[in-house]
Amino acid sequence: MHEYSLAQGLLNSLLDYLRAHPVPGRVKKVHVKKGELLILSEWALKEAWRILAEGTELSGSELVLESVPVRARCDSCGYEGNVRYLAEEGWHMSVPVLSCPRCGAPVRIMEGRDLAIVGLSVDESSLSKPERL
Amino acid sequence: MHDITGSFGDVMQKQLELAAQNYELLKNRGIRAVNVMGAIGSGKTELILRMAEKLRERGLRVGAIAGDVAGDDDYQRFRSAGIPALQINTGDQCHLDAHQVGHALENFPLDQIDVLFIENVGNLVCPADFPLGTDVDLVVISVTEGDDMVRKHPKMFAQTDVVAINKVDLAAFVGVDPERIAADYKKVNPHGKVVFTAAKSGRGVDELLAALGF
Repeated sequence: MHEYSLAQGLLNSLLDYLRAHPVPGRVKKVHVKKGELLILSEWALKEAWRILAEGTELSGSELVLESVPVRARCDSCGYEGNVRYLAEEGWHMSVPVLSCPRCGAPVRIMEGRDLAIVGLSVDESSLSKPERL
Repeated sequence: MHDITGSFGDVMQKQLELAAQNYELLKNRGIRAVNVMGAIGSGKTELILRMAEKLRERGLRVGAIAGDVAGDDDYQRFRSAGIPALQINTGDQCHLDAHQVGHALENFPLDQIDVLFIENVGNLVCPADFPLGTDVDLVVISVTEGDDMVRKHPKMFAQTDVVAINKVDLAAFVGVDPERIAADYKKVNPHGKVVFTAAKSGRGVDELLAALGF
């Protein structure tokens, strides 16, 4: 539902980053990790990026999304790792169950709510003036 | 092609940090806070009013923040009941966020309350992604919404501490089995607590308070 505002947040932070750390060429792909607990449409997020990036130096870049599974920590037995999933017919979605797969106690979420840029693919051949390097 | 890796500003991390600030502020003031979510018309405001009556009988002072896209109807209901309240109009945003709540807390008479109910915008999708810094999350479902509410919003309920299945006195009239809603919720959230309520008559309000840790 809030794909545009989050895409704008990602875009602003990346534009700030690029001002401080210029890259040698045009950014073609922006790699983003998206926690699977977030209720966000990947299609809408990519579309929002495409539209919002127009007119900036990131115009034409593509958002590449990688879904990050939930990682949890159990304070009862010390387990740390993935959780189990509920995938019933009729739910049309695999749902992470926030319960310790080892002892069944409630868990704390360590990962799975993130939305962050984790990498860029830069096309160096797009530079018309290599001396700028 | 040249690849650069690193981390450039996690936009959700900022929300979590703001929520943690709200949590600390409320803890320091000795206030227990509840994030009340649920669809439009599920009975969030009425349940808060009933809970507030019971808490006041126990000598606890209750305050409320009403989050709505527009209007101040819920705020007026809180004020009429003598509850210190503050309205947040989100200006078309479909959920409250920790930033808005942080500003509201700056303007709230926190020294006058022991318990704070934060009534989120009526919506079952977005509030799940935006923690506010409360102690406990409550989702109110009314039976009139149908018995498939958990199935339609599984990620929301997987992360919710307590569910109130409200208007249970109407279940027979609308042909809905509240037990089915409860069973779906227990599947996605084995640690969650379910309480059947009928806010208008006061049914289940004591049990709901117990489930919320009061």
